[in-house]
Amino acid sequence: MNTVNFISIPGSIAPEQEIVVFGQNRLTYGELNDLVARLTGVFRQQGLKPRDVLAILDTNSHLYIASYYAAAKAGLTFLPLNYRAKDPELEYMINTANARLLLAGDRYLDLVKRIHPKLNGVKCMAVGEGDGALARLADLAAKADPDETETEIEEEDVSVLMYTSGTTSLPKGVMLSFHDFTAYVTANVEMADGTERGVFLVCAPFYHIAGTTAMMTNLWTGRKMIVMPQFEPANWLELVQREKVTHAFVVPTMMKQLLDHPAFASTDFSSLTNLAYGGAPMPVAVIRRAIEAFPKNVGFVNAYGQTETTSSLTVLGPDDHRIEGTPEQVELKLKRLNSIGKPLPDVEVRVRDEDGQFLAAGQVGEIIIRTPRIMKGYAGRKDDAALADGWRATGDLGWLDEEGYIFFAGRKDDMIIRGGENIAPAEIETVLMSHPAVEEAAVIGEPSVEWGQTIKAFVVLREGRKAGAKEIQEFCKTRLASFKRPENIEFIAELPKNALGKILRKELHARQKADA
Amino acid sequence: MANVLGKRYMCEKCGTEVLCNKAGSGALECCEGEMKLKEAKPLPSSD
Repeated sequence: MNTVNFISIPGSIAPEQEIVVFGQNRLTYGELNDLVARLTGVFRQQGLKPRDVLAILDTNSHLYIASYYAAAKAGLTFLPLNYRAKDPELEYMINTANARLLLAGDRYLDLVKRIHPKLNGVKCMAVGEGDGALARLADLAAKADPDETETEIEEEDVSVLMYTSGTTSLPKGVMLSFHDFTAYVTANVEMADGTERGVFLVCAPFYHIAGTTAMMTNLWTGRKMIVMPQFEPANWLELVQREKVTHAFVVPTMMKQLLDHPAFASTDFSSLTNLAYGGAPMPVAVIRRAIEAFPKNVGFVNAYGQTETTSSLTVLGPDDHRIEGTPEQVELKLKRLNSIGKPLPDVEVRVRDEDGQFLAAGQVGEIIIRTPRIMKGYAGRKDDAALADGWRATGDLGWLDEEGYIFFAGRKDDMIIRGGENIAPAEIETVLMSHPAVEEAAVIGEPSVEWGQTIKAFVVLREGRKAGAKEIQEFCKTRLASFKRPENIEFIAELPKNALGKILRKELHARQKADA
Repeated sequence: MANVLGKRYMCEKCGTEVLCNKAGSGALECCEGEMKLKEAKPLPSSD
């Protein structure tokens, strides 16, 4: 179905229900649908036809959400751009997607002016106040008549074209269809029925899959969305208390910033029942600290997924985060905090070796998945990850335990091969981060004439703590097989990361080359 | 069984799925049989 139904059907049931809050703007379903209808009129007036591409470059807002749903209503493809991308990346994304209209936030007007000569004739419009030169979306919407006509889409039409963060190569345009979102949302949440379904605080950017699906699941199920333009810890804590937030999603670096914030201790978390995290591997030390620091009413959820699979594939639920029971149970639970949990009901997961054979519990291989919501493909390039019988290679390494819990062991591309032995960096990083003086660690392969590759670790020490390379190597001795121990340890102030907190290993490789 | 607001119904024969956006006392039929209620399995909510 057309995803605009995620707001139009609940809107026909509960038009007066407050559903989107952004700063001073508080919109009911009725008001949101009216704004969407006006924007649909604006986009059609601009000459946009079904399957044309509408791009947006801005931080989160209610207008961002309304623009997505208006694009859906008009049958357009929505292109949410990463506002942290560099000029050439943005040019690449906008041009390869063949965007017809670009909505730009105030903060990005100069950037858009700068790159505009290199863009293939895209029209621009201001989402915010603008600079006087561009037409303002809000003005046009106020003048436009609501356009109630919903475009009849094909299920396989692309609703969102989302360029992945590209930690290893040029961004890839993931084509997600109306079907992909409908399958994910209707399989995983109940439709709104006018009753209270809680309050969700969204701080993940809407250009990321976790942000995009948040604006669908919550609006479909009737959970009020409190929209932050972008994450800021003091504001997050204040909003949780003031808006009585029940649900939220953060990435690991945000979790740490919250725990470290002076206002954390005085924040009232009594409304918060569900705090999900994902987007990058969570250091066990951080989640353990979070479990201790948040009150017991907070249930934690670890979510693992990919843009290509329309968000979450597996979750580790609140029960697995309650570290209690007999000493054996506690030990098992602590071990499972490293896990990404079990597959969602519409997902199958297996681990396979290089020859495609499924592996038994405890053996590390590539995680492969099957679900009805795999992307339609990559824009303009072949998808090498599609396997026979509807399976898909994730490019992630992992293993299953006896009870089917899945453990993530790093990206396949990051695998180190030392003297013929395959070594997953995550395994070594977990050991390094269990050292009391180590805050964070990242491991890469260093070219070696003798071994092919040897292991180099970049280590960030905790504030006020000291440890030498020798001491850390000794620590690894009793915990890692000899071929897995880091031969070279470099201490750095912080690890290079992308917006979601994923470590940028290519920058570590570049740093290492520069030093060599 | 009366149709329930917000629920999905599925025809086990042809696979058609429908969504009820206004409840009523009737029951949905497809391929000469009653359509079966399909329960969503709510996520431990990651988003």
